[in-house]
Amino acid sequence: MTEATVEGHYATREREIDTRPVAISIEGLSKLYVPPFSRVRKAFGRPVKAPVTALQNVSFDVHAGEVFGLLGRNGAGKTTLTKIVATLIQPTNGRVSVYSLDTITNEKQVKSLIGLATAEERSSYWRLTAEENLVFFARIYGMGDRPAKTRVSELIEQLELTEAARRRFGELSTGNKQRVAVARALLMNPPILLLDEPTRSLDPLAAARMRTLIAALASASPPVTVLLTSHNLTEVEELCSRVAVISRGSIRAIGSPLGLRSTEQSDEAVTLIIQGLELAKLNNCILEIYDNPEMSVDGLNVTVTFKRQSGDQMLDLAIRTIHRAGGRIISIEIRTGKLLDVLERLETETETEGAMS
Amino acid sequence: MIRSALIFLRRLRAFVIRDYRLAVSYKLDFFMRIFSVLIMVISFYFVSRMLVGQVNSAFPEWENPFLTWLTGFPFLSYFLTGFSSLANAIREEQKQGTLESVLITPINIPTMIVCSSAWDLIQVTITSFCYFFFGWIFFDAHFKGSFLLAILFLVVTTLVLGCLGILSASFAMVFKRGDPFAILLGTGSALFSGVLFPTQLLGKEFGILSRLLPTTYGLDGIRRVLIMGEGLYQVREPLLILFSFLVVLLPFSLWIFDRAVQRAKRDGSLVQF
Repeated sequence: MTEATVEGHYATREREIDTRPVAISIEGLSKLYVPPFSRVRKAFGRPVKAPVTALQNVSFDVHAGEVFGLLGRNGAGKTTLTKIVATLIQPTNGRVSVYSLDTITNEKQVKSLIGLATAEERSSYWRLTAEENLVFFARIYGMGDRPAKTRVSELIEQLELTEAARRRFGELSTGNKQRVAVARALLMNPPILLLDEPTRSLDPLAAARMRTLIAALASASPPVTVLLTSHNLTEVEELCSRVAVISRGSIRAIGSPLGLRSTEQSDEAVTLIIQGLELAKLNNCILEIYDNPEMSVDGLNVTVTFKRQSGDQMLDLAIRTIHRAGGRIISIEIRTGKLLDVLERLETETETEGAMS
Repeated sequence: MIRSALIFLRRLRAFVIRDYRLAVSYKLDFFMRIFSVLIMVISFYFVSRMLVGQVNSAFPEWENPFLTWLTGFPFLSYFLTGFSSLANAIREEQKQGTLESVLITPINIPTMIVCSSAWDLIQVTITSFCYFFFGWIFFDAHFKGSFLLAILFLVVTTLVLGCLGILSASFAMVFKRGDPFAILLGTGSALFSGVLFPTQLLGKEFGILSRLLPTTYGLDGIRRVLIMGEGLYQVREPLLILFSFLVVLLPFSLWIFDRAVQRAKRDGSLVQF
């Protein structure tokens, strides 16, 4: 990646994903929750609560093999969106199709293409063992007895549930319950996975393994498309090729994590720690390339911090100049804008717009 | 067609195994149920001893009240299970929080409800059998007439109650609680369908209520077959009434159910309880 910038790399990746078939298509999706008996209450002159807009004109496509992230605060509409894709809720307006199949008119076929794992602990039967739960769900997917048991054994091994498999679901740790939910979603090897905070209750090691599994599924052949809801921004950056930020039911931004971050801050701070070079000489070296470097000395180490345009090609030149002047670079740290900053800005914008309207 | 039937049977089996495992996870419950049946049968016998020979000849089915109660209670519980298990299937999954996990599979809601109620029907079959078994083994209770005809009454009445159960399930999906069908049928059937005493004693006003309940015709038919030994021709009237209930209620309940599912999905309240 000497010529192409990092942004360029992501743009290329996005273009590559765009060429793949659309796995999930969401067009003009809106969902309005009307309080029950509104018309009756109105007819009797009783006060009527205002309807709640959960989603408003949401449109985007998710391509095959893409890990697509949904970010947003609690109550932003992520779960409603996921449930509409999963056919559990019907939209008020708009259309969702999964591999060109409408989720309302082709509900049964759509369900056979989807696996859903929610962070809801009560999604399995507490008095059955983890294994019994998985075998039950495999059977109601229509699997025969032996294939169901074989598939469940595979998943128990894959998700490291061997010790927990024979214990009642209610006795499992929250993390293991979460893994059972993911195992259930994977039972039929669905081409589309809807994962609602899949690592929420996992320990760091288990969470890392879960992320590896998700990445492996997305790059498998045929690839699995993942619609991932998460509050873990590091996880989203690590896994997702694209992210949609939802705020109060509307999509505020869509793009690659890096692309979104760069909209927040186009420059980044670079800090170098250097040995074997005097302060004045180092200042000259850096000033040839970057403006206003800040410098400090700590024993043998000279620390220099300067700003550069994200992905520019001058950093390499600065490093070579320092080397030529006899300096040794001990460490390099680059601080870019964070996805959290993007979320905060978009949320503030939404609140301002809401207040104005 | 065969493949669909096979998948349905697999699913039915899956639900029965699930519910069996859930039931045996509460070990004492099943034995206590059987024990309570035994207590009931013993009670029927000794209470009936007081009434033998004193029953008005206008009620020939009640000549031996022990046999009449022995048919009334198990069959009523059978009918009511056919009714309540359908709505309970939805409510239980909602309460446990597992409805979403089940509905994300390609199973449709009617299949889910029917499969979920299968274990309840198996259980009530076992307890009903226990009523007759204890009656026979301890108190020499004997029945005459065609068991096949009695089973026909049982099946048709259970189907009619199943239709009302579908209406009840529709209610549970939209309104969640306060089901009027459960209240009317649950309490009404025990009181007005001739389980405890002849419906003729109810008088004109309450007699109308009695005639509106399908359980009245089911119990009447079964008793006339098993106790009086009547044949198909003699019991054609209650049987035809039950079929009429079925013809009207089946399409109506399925139509209402479909509307309730669509509404719950639109409201997003399918999994709430």
